[in-house]
Amino acid sequence: MPESIQPKKIVIFGYMLVPMTLFIFAVFVPLVAAGVFSFFEWKGGPNKIFIGLENYITLINDEIFWTAFGNNIFLVVACIIGQIGLAFVFSLMIYSRLVKFKSIHRTFGFFPSTVSAVAVGFIWRMVFDYKNGVINWFLTAIGQEDLTRVWLNDEKIIMFVVAIPLIWQYIGYYMIIILSAMSSVSQEIFEVAELDGANGIQRAIYIIFPLIKNTLLVCLTLCIAGNMKAFDNIYVMTKGGPGYSSNVMAMYAYNISFDKSNNLGYGSAISVGIFVLSLLVIGGSQLLINRATRSKEV
Amino acid sequence: MKRKLLSVLLATAMVATLMVGCGKTETETTETETTETETEVAETETEAAGYAGELSIMHFSTSEESQGNGGSDGFRTMLSQWQAANPDITLTEEVLANAEYKTQIATYAAAGDLPDVFLLQGMNTKTWAAQGLILDLTDAVNSSPYAADYNKAYLTPFMDGDTIYGYPALTGGTCTVVVYDSAKWAEAGFDTFPTTWADVEAASAYFDEQGVDTIAFGNGGGWQANSCFISTLGNRYTGKEWYQSMIDKAGASFEDAEFVAALAETQRLFTSTSIFNEDFNAITNEDAREYYISGDAAAFIGGNWDVSYIQSTLSGTDLYNTTKFAVLPQPADATKDPNSQNIGLGYAVAVSTEVANDPAKLAAAIDLAQYLTGPEFSTFVAENYALGGFTNVANVDLSGFDQWTQDFYNWSYVDTTACEIYDSYLTGDVWGLFNTDLQTMMNGGITPEDVAKHAQEAYLANY
Repeated sequence: MPESIQPKKIVIFGYMLVPMTLFIFAVFVPLVAAGVFSFFEWKGGPNKIFIGLENYITLINDEIFWTAFGNNIFLVVACIIGQIGLAFVFSLMIYSRLVKFKSIHRTFGFFPSTVSAVAVGFIWRMVFDYKNGVINWFLTAIGQEDLTRVWLNDEKIIMFVVAIPLIWQYIGYYMIIILSAMSSVSQEIFEVAELDGANGIQRAIYIIFPLIKNTLLVCLTLCIAGNMKAFDNIYVMTKGGPGYSSNVMAMYAYNISFDKSNNLGYGSAISVGIFVLSLLVIGGSQLLINRATRSKEV
Repeated sequence: MKRKLLSVLLATAMVATLMVGCGKTETETTETETTETETEVAETETEAAGYAGELSIMHFSTSEESQGNGGSDGFRTMLSQWQAANPDITLTEEVLANAEYKTQIATYAAAGDLPDVFLLQGMNTKTWAAQGLILDLTDAVNSSPYAADYNKAYLTPFMDGDTIYGYPALTGGTCTVVVYDSAKWAEAGFDTFPTTWADVEAASAYFDEQGVDTIAFGNGGGWQANSCFISTLGNRYTGKEWYQSMIDKAGASFEDAEFVAALAETQRLFTSTSIFNEDFNAITNEDAREYYISGDAAAFIGGNWDVSYIQSTLSGTDLYNTTKFAVLPQPADATKDPNSQNIGLGYAVAVSTEVANDPAKLAAAIDLAQYLTGPEFSTFVAENYALGGFTNVANVDLSGFDQWTQDFYNWSYVDTTACEIYDSYLTGDVWGLFNTDLQTMMNGGITPEDVAKHAQEAYLANY
């Protein structure tokens, strides 16, 4: 950049000051504070007792926490398939020349992701309601009354049930990202492929997928990060129940810290655990994907 | 030069906005309500007359909650009267719905930043007292001008040893009442609600045929099975001494055979009979009472807050006239008081220790606490709602009330015997775990013995 139009360092620093201050207070300070509190037995109030790593030893042996972690991993897998997978398929359909009113599809597809997760939770709670819900009403209407059940009180299927609203809400969000990536692919490539006789599926697998791979990786990272901190709609639908069957890590940290107990020291240790595990899962998945794609390229 | 000036101005504006935002958090409240005097101002001069300044109070008697809820209505009315009688004091109210209140007050306690006056939940008393967050009010309670009329039994959840930490507030209401439609039960062959679970099981065969739930119950929040069921059913097996021993750490255990038997009976009733609605673990008490109101259930189990709601909703209907009240039926193998129901005051007006630094402010805070729980409050709720508070009121004339109100007053305070509300005592660490296990147990996912074992471990570790 020519020196004449480059702002002075003090100006750059001035502009950076506000966002950096916000970031430090909103992200860095709470994280460090949670790290410090996690070494204390602290049930709220001014009195804290330093207990070293005891909270972390409890965390490692805490079956409830690991059940919650398993539920988060289930959500991650279900949402990668449901959110990104379906978003990719829908993007291909909308991108097709056969589909009309593309902007309407895009707008309505994106709409659920603008709705509050709490509102989404309430809507789906009504959908799954045992006595007045749409699903049991439909099953009864088509003569399949035997299939009706208390959807929100079945430990075997509850994670599928709470994953559905999450998937439904964010398909449109990823669809918009994928569509914008697809629109950057040159039309000439598609025309050549069509002349060569490639059908829609072949074009999706051999042309679109490799060309928007980096965008899909971004979607994957966002999806994993989002589902490792899932909370709102599950809290509204089941409060983590029945029992601990739909409990997720963030909800467990909240319950331990505020709702069912006031154990802020252990709650902080759980929060640090969530942070570390999320980093490991996101980093691990990036590593796996990079290796897989690199070996293919070789 | 202009661009540079603009940059400096923008940056200054951003920093200023940030600083203003930071500074505002101290005074912002979720729902700050300015009290207006709509009712008569108390004539008596109060002790608070010497203080002029701010006094903050946090409670959960929202305007919505006070519609038909005597305790909330009385609390708000007393606040208005006290504010009108003390114009030099700026009373800042933070009012949240009950569920949000519990989380918010715990957050303030964690930060050591409690409001001057607030409502203390019984199970937090010992923990917060140990933390030095709540003020010792023993002398204030004992020297109160209304001390002779206080119902001292209500103080227990708010005491640690002999030290009193709050004035029991709102109304003494039951947490476990069976609300039933006497007309439906008469059709099933019962003139009054059955006194044994065996008879309820027999009746459920009839109600199943009718496509009606025998009893509606909602445990979706996890706490209802504790507060509105096991707390009374447990007393039928253990008696009151057992829970007093748990409170005093005098040797009783969750693993005692009598308590495990109460859990086993609870599991049997919910998993092996068709008495309750199938979705009891997926809906809340608010949903379950709607089953009763809409006629989809012949009875409902809940607390006094549910009765207030049902009363105001059903007013003017046939079901209003046929609704009656009963205690939980007695299990076949239970040997203790079959007429018991858990009743008490779950919250007390407490004062933050910070207030003690300013004697005049402390006097105002104590005066407010005494006014909110004193004879004016009790008279108001007795005359308007036929309810009782911390201060006894003599010769309540019920003749002006309709049959529903008279029946519920007599059921609550005259015809039944009182037992403790479990989760008014001990600690949230125990009840958080216990309630979640209880929910699983009611689905058949865990044995009563394991529920008791986990609860006892949490009790020993945290209480």
